[in-house]
Amino acid sequence: MGQTSRHGRGRFAVALCALACALTLLAPTAAFGLTTNKATARPNEDGGSSVIGGLPTRLTWEGTVDEGEEVSSVTLVLPEGSSFDGTTTKVTVLEGLSRAQLEGEVKPATQSLVVVFSKPATAGLLLRLEVEGVLFPSEGGDVVVRGTYVNQNGEQDLAESKPIATIANTPLQALLASLDANPVVEAWNSSPFLGMFFKPQLLVTAFATLIPGWLLCLLIVCIAYPFAIILGLIFALMKISRNRLIRAIAIIYVNVLRGTPLFLQIYIMFFGLPMMNINIDNNVLGVIVIAINASAYLAEIFRAGIESIPPGQYEAASSLGMGHMMTMVNIILPQTIRRVIPTVTSDFITSYKDTSLLSSVGVMELMMFAKNLTSVSGNMTPYVAAAIFYLIVTLPLIKGVTIIEKRMARSERGGGPRPKVKAKTAEGVTGDPAEKGAEPSLVEALSAPFRPATTDIAGMGGVADVQ
Amino acid sequence: MFNKANGSRGFGTEARHVPPALDATEAALQAHERDKTLTKHHFEPEEHPCVRIEHLMKTFDGETRVLTDVNLTVWPGEVVCVLGPSGSGKSTMLRCINLLETPTAGHILIEDHEITGPLPIKEVNKLRQNLGMVFQSFNLFPHLTAKGNVMIGQTKVLKKSKEEAEVEALKQLEAVGLLDRADFKPAQLSGGQQQRVAIARAVAMHPDILLFDEPTSALDPELVRGVLDVMRDLAENGGMTMIVVTHEMGFAREVADRVVFMEGGVVVEQGKPDDVFDHPQNERTAQFLGSIG
Ligand SMILES: Nc1ncnc2c1ncn2[C@@H]1O[C@H](COP(=O)(O)OP(=O)(O)OP(=O)(O)O)[C@@H](O)[C@H]1O
Ligand SMILES: [Mg+2]
Repeated sequence: MGQTSRHGRGRFAVALCALACALTLLAPTAAFGLTTNKATARPNEDGGSSVIGGLPTRLTWEGTVDEGEEVSSVTLVLPEGSSFDGTTTKVTVLEGLSRAQLEGEVKPATQSLVVVFSKPATAGLLLRLEVEGVLFPSEGGDVVVRGTYVNQNGEQDLAESKPIATIANTPLQALLASLDANPVVEAWNSSPFLGMFFKPQLLVTAFATLIPGWLLCLLIVCIAYPFAIILGLIFALMKISRNRLIRAIAIIYVNVLRGTPLFLQIYIMFFGLPMMNINIDNNVLGVIVIAINASAYLAEIFRAGIESIPPGQYEAASSLGMGHMMTMVNIILPQTIRRVIPTVTSDFITSYKDTSLLSSVGVMELMMFAKNLTSVSGNMTPYVAAAIFYLIVTLPLIKGVTIIEKRMARSERGGGPRPKVKAKTAEGVTGDPAEKGAEPSLVEALSAPFRPATTDIAGMGGVADVQ
Repeated sequence: MFNKANGSRGFGTEARHVPPALDATEAALQAHERDKTLTKHHFEPEEHPCVRIEHLMKTFDGETRVLTDVNLTVWPGEVVCVLGPSGSGKSTMLRCINLLETPTAGHILIEDHEITGPLPIKEVNKLRQNLGMVFQSFNLFPHLTAKGNVMIGQTKVLKKSKEEAEVEALKQLEAVGLLDRADFKPAQLSGGQQQRVAIARAVAMHPDILLFDEPTSALDPELVRGVLDVMRDLAENGGMTMIVVTHEMGFAREVADRVVFMEGGVVVEQGKPDDVFDHPQNERTAQFLGSIG
């Protein structure tokens, strides 16, 4: 994300320069003038190639003295927010390839830097100023070095430099800079293992860089999963259908998908569909593949869940006169959903991790970002950061599954929260429609294991019968 | 499509060498004649039986013959207790009556309406609304509260409004003494309480006939009373027609209008409770009653 816009800015800058050059060519040039050859700044981004505002960097400025000109001093001026305070400047004057016998006295002020030469610099001399410790404006942006110089005719304007692209000094950059400067971090990084897998600076950078990938992972699995659940339910019902053909279709679907690697399914979809001239956006295709793959596993989970409901439940429903669909919707599925929640959650965790395989076909998910950052930095730390991103989601879910399983085991034994015993009055018989309905809703069924125990246990009668 | 309980309707390939169901009036007269000494039921003039079982046969897997030839007539408001050793086919007969099992041959008529033979599933569901069933293992819906269990049939099958169903549910729960447990889940109730909720669930549908399959067999002895009291109340004050498979001899003797003894898939003896208990005519009945004590 950041990278692309930085490129964009660079390209924009180049375009500006080209325009500026074109303009200079067109404009009638002065009789003579000190030409600004270049003004560059050294990248100060850890592991990157950008110049960050607000952090010390080295500014290199070069100019060539024009024919017949004698330059006695040069003043560089930076935009507001910059600072030359506390800089050290190396002044080099070159005549061809050899150093000219010319000294420069440097007087840094906040926004400007004055170099006064020991004797006027004559035509053809190359003046190079290397200023260490310059701070560019911390908000970033294109920095143009301006200034003035003094020649035999008095003070002249210096030609503007090409803009130097800088990026903003975010808290992240500040943190990185402080990590760079920290001796403990340095000692830590000097250990080959820690430095290779847990380099703090890269960890910080990776966290920032991987976020879009992480979000895409979450997005893919969160969109895919509801579809997977619906598909899974359909195939589960098909699998226990009385119709042999319907059953066969479901069995083939489930077994083929469960019997082949997801990696292969991804390849077939991502390379096969385009060959058939079906072009679907990579991310959408990722969602589709994950949904289809998960649906096969969910179908098995649901089927087992439905079959685990004792036949007495069907008989009780039938004896009330419920038809088949009614029984399924009101009696069997709500119970099934409760039973399969732990398994479905585990399967969700698997699907979430499986999105990593989509990196092999160029979906810009978490692993893809980690891979890119690792190949740029030559360090394994981004993979560790990716691992942390996976764990942020999976660990709470794993914990949640454990809690739900415990709660369900307890409630099956008859434990768990109990509602308050209502006063034994006939008033209740009049009915209280406002009261929480006894209607089974899917939402209620789904949320039941997660609902906190709000009901009062105190004052409870045991299970002993009231005689 | 995959409802285990519904089974496939209609008859198997087994030959049906049983006489056809009798004409309703004729049958009522004959049954009246036969039953008048066998039951404490007070017959109304020109009363028709509400359940007529004629030559009922049921085999499983085409070989194990569980019911050989069951004949039984149940009158409106009558309480019939069915006794018999384990495996004699009591449950199977009961389950045939509300078509949880498909009879292999013979006839079952509910209110003179033949239910054996191929019936559309809508008819079957309609029929079952008139036949409440209480199971040995309660079979409450564990995801619903006691009240929810009693309401669901009313709202979904009878299409009553939630408010109406709730009023009815609370009324029935009060009748079984569980108004204070209305918001409890089945897992939070004792077996006896669960069975009483199951009875309330069946009664709330206002069926014509209630079928009980050993409703107290799964209960601890101290919980049996509460359930039997509820059933006694239904029989004596509710005037409900009941067919009760039970091993509770005391209940049968006190509450039943008629006791039916089954063995090997046939009704071997039936009669007024005192007659059967005190002077069993059949040797097997005597043996069985002796062993029960
Ligand atoms: N679905 C079935 N498939 C095969 N055989 C069955 C099935 N249901 C019942 N049976 C057999 O039918 C016979 C009678 O069973 P049933 O449950 O009707 O007996 P019961 O009189 O109710 O006995 P109990 O007092 O033990 O409940 C038993 O031998 C049983 O094994
Ligand atoms: Mg039985």
